[in-house]
Amino acid sequence: MADTSPKVCTVNFGKGAQDISVYKSLGGYSNVGKRLFDLSQFELIDLVTRSGLRGRGGAGFPTGMKWSFVPRGGKPVYLVVNADEGEPGTFKDHFLMLEDPHRLIEGMLICGWALGVRTAYIYVRGEFLSAVESLNKAISQAYAAGLLGANIGGSGYSLDIYVHRGAGAYICGEETALINSLEGCKGQPRLKPPFPAVSGAWSSPTCVNNVETIMALPWILENGPEAYAAIGVGRSNGTKVFSVSGDVKRPGVYECALGLPIMEMLESEQFCQGVIGDLKGVIPGGSSTPVLTTAEASDAKLDYESLAAKGTMLGSGAIIAFNSSRNVVTMLQSLTRFYAHESCGQCTPCREGTGFANRVMKTVVAGKGRDTDLQLLLDLCEGFTPTTICPLAAADAGPIESFTKKFRADFEAAIARNPERAEERLHPNFRPGAFW
Amino acid sequence: MSNYYHMPKLPSADSLRVTINVDGKDVVVPGDTNLIEALRSVGIETPHFCYHPHLPLSGNCRQCLIETEGPRGMGLAIACYTPVRAGMKVATPASSPKVAKARKTVMEFQLVNHPLDCPICDKAGECLLQENYMQAGQGESHVREDIGKQYHGAPEHRFEDTKGQDRGGKDIDIGPRIILDEERCILCDRCVRFMRHVAGDEQLYIAARGDHAFITTFPGKKLDHAYDLNTTDICPVGALTSKSFRFKHRVWNLQHTPSIDPTDALGANIWIDHDGGTVYRLMPRCNSDVNRSWIANSTRAAFEALSTNRLLDGRLQGKTVTRSEALRHMMEKLQSAKKVALVSSGHLTLEDNAAMLSLAGVLGPRAEVFGGSWLPVAKPDGIALSGDPVPNRRGVSLLGIADNLDQLVSRAAEFDVVLLAETDLWFADSKQAKALEAIPNRLVLSAWDTASVKAATCAVGINAWAEVRGCMVNIAGRLQMMQAAPVSPVDALEPAWQTLSHLAGSDWNEVIEAWKFATGICSPLASIKYSAIGSSGLQLPPSGAHT
Repeated sequence: MADTSPKVCTVNFGKGAQDISVYKSLGGYSNVGKRLFDLSQFELIDLVTRSGLRGRGGAGFPTGMKWSFVPRGGKPVYLVVNADEGEPGTFKDHFLMLEDPHRLIEGMLICGWALGVRTAYIYVRGEFLSAVESLNKAISQAYAAGLLGANIGGSGYSLDIYVHRGAGAYICGEETALINSLEGCKGQPRLKPPFPAVSGAWSSPTCVNNVETIMALPWILENGPEAYAAIGVGRSNGTKVFSVSGDVKRPGVYECALGLPIMEMLESEQFCQGVIGDLKGVIPGGSSTPVLTTAEASDAKLDYESLAAKGTMLGSGAIIAFNSSRNVVTMLQSLTRFYAHESCGQCTPCREGTGFANRVMKTVVAGKGRDTDLQLLLDLCEGFTPTTICPLAAADAGPIESFTKKFRADFEAAIARNPERAEERLHPNFRPGAFW
Repeated sequence: MSNYYHMPKLPSADSLRVTINVDGKDVVVPGDTNLIEALRSVGIETPHFCYHPHLPLSGNCRQCLIETEGPRGMGLAIACYTPVRAGMKVATPASSPKVAKARKTVMEFQLVNHPLDCPICDKAGECLLQENYMQAGQGESHVREDIGKQYHGAPEHRFEDTKGQDRGGKDIDIGPRIILDEERCILCDRCVRFMRHVAGDEQLYIAARGDHAFITTFPGKKLDHAYDLNTTDICPVGALTSKSFRFKHRVWNLQHTPSIDPTDALGANIWIDHDGGTVYRLMPRCNSDVNRSWIANSTRAAFEALSTNRLLDGRLQGKTVTRSEALRHMMEKLQSAKKVALVSSGHLTLEDNAAMLSLAGVLGPRAEVFGGSWLPVAKPDGIALSGDPVPNRRGVSLLGIADNLDQLVSRAAEFDVVLLAETDLWFADSKQAKALEAIPNRLVLSAWDTASVKAATCAVGINAWAEVRGCMVNIAGRLQMMQAAPVSPVDALEPAWQTLSHLAGSDWNEVIEAWKFATGICSPLASIKYSAIGSSGLQLPPSGAHT
């Protein structure tokens, strides 16, 4: 069955648009010229604000508002495209860069013009070698066509784009850690404020946007903000690219209008064509977002507000469906291992807390869990969530809290394998603290 | 890490005062600083590990959490990174159970992977982790043995202990002066920031990430810098310890006497840490106007000399005699002398030099006072050394003594007695000093058995710098005071001022008498009392300002 959902970012998929001539023949770059450069910066930011476009990296912050925070007339402004796609389950940006790199460049030109950017970076996850190749090829084609470099299209506007490969750290998807890494420092989040929009790369105003956010811009400029805002529901405007994986018949990257029921994404012929086995739960937005049970997923919709109402998040749009043959306890341990491994080690609660939570999960998986361990995990989450520099620890807390709450029976069964589960862990009079 | 790092703003005497609300009470605090310093100014101590007033902010330990009003109402924030704003509301554990719980949790996280080392840890007793645990911790631990710990340490240093637990790195020789214990490290990053921002030589870094992170040097390199021992002071735990002090003495048995650096004209403020008459170490004493919290390794090493090669008695023609015999000989020579050269010393206090001037006054026109030093002067290093090895050079010139040792050399034939006090001319320049051997009577007051003592016809031992009370003026014109630590190797030793006053026949018993003499003859010091100098010194007006 043909895919009838509206397409904004993936419209050129499978058409060979990696080549600039094909991309141009499909209507690409047609607005980079008078149409773009006749707009003032304020008109362009207003246009993006009216489109209702929100950041597609995970937090869903309104893009136009983010741009409006960037001060003008002082230090140079940098644009950094966040292509450090590291969230387990997410792979949309990889395909977007592989299939349609010129759309990203065109989007960067639009954002660059709006913010007065002269130098822009694409921070690509280190493992995405083919995406880096695809981008570099597209960038050199764009330079040859006079679409990048000095005096683009005789407008007087100049933009240079550099591709920067990360070194393989999940935390570098956090914008201030990304900036540190871009500067050549260890990829660890900075204290905020100041926020990057005011003081980011090289202490200059820096706009950090996700690949998908930037790639929506050419369509918005072409079709107008009202057309974009007309797609989607409520305050969730436009389309979203989802990476669907897990126990579905046809996993992959799908674009649809926001507000699509999650079950339609999983069952529909034009998307995943059904779940393998009987669905046990769905992670709706990437590993850090709280899991949904089948019952919750049955009426959940893929947009910011309705998922928030379900106590979870749209995140980066990484849907992971799993069936009843999966062991949720080992699934959770796999996630806690990931967050313990990816904690940057800068601040104490996350450094020690995520590792501790993982060690607790390890004992549970190994059949040595205690009755008190589930409460212990919740205590740890409560401890490290509000006290850290960045949200990585909170991202660990999302799955821990939701998995242990929603699949409690599975966890209790895992703990029940330990015959000594009810024993006192320590002598009641022993107050270990420093002395263990 | 990156260029966004900035130094904490510290309150000063002329800070704008603002009112903030702490735990429901309005208090007046300096308005240009962070909450840790502001709360400290009203007597509220905030537990912390990574914050240090003289290092850039890092905000990684999360121990100093407080609650303050943000865009979403009262919320947790770290006190070190939160600037004071007039009218802000702050909640400490005294009023907020949320803050108390958050601090307790962070403390638990600090301890989750910290070893039970305290009984054998050299830092015990001055460990921030112990102190903060008593203030903010004391909770029930969640740790149990079958969950185990992830001790910090480099892969190549890891080992399995007798209980089968995977352990981190212990007893690692990280440089010529320092031992690293990776397990104890809480990754506060203070040492890294010290090396980067103060020493200016980035020799340490945190490798790896998460709970596998550890402090290390760059591959094949050692921690070796003229200021590296400061990292052992600022290390909040026993991860970095000094080889020279390690296992020598328990810190709670040490007494601390405030003093100043005797090796350099900056006069870095120090503590003499001693017990039972022995000095175990010298530690920096914080003075934001002089040396901040740092001293050089060379300053630290000065304590070793206090028990080495001391001159404890008298010498007459190279033979050991009692102090009184030597003193009697000196007195006779001074009384019968036709022309006496008195050589003052920038290594001695103002009081000692004043006593020498008093002696010159007693001797009348027969005496002439010389001053200066032949020790080479280096460039300032911008941290805690001025490069001038003569600590009280400025004070000596303030007393009106000229820098004229060269004249003494050229006019040596005029004198029949020369008296040197704690200035080792034969060591500083043996060629020039040779000319002084033309003077038949060479009298030397010295704390050490130096080259000058060997060249003297008569010498007598005196107290060394750590054993005397007195003042010096540093290179920037700051009058600073050193206190006497009770560490004299022999009770009979006397300070230089007292020995000189015996020679002058005035028999001063208290150092204050020497000080009164000094203030009487030196107008910049006029009417300054000891009590006015204070622990951080007193900046004298520029030399042109007095009449």
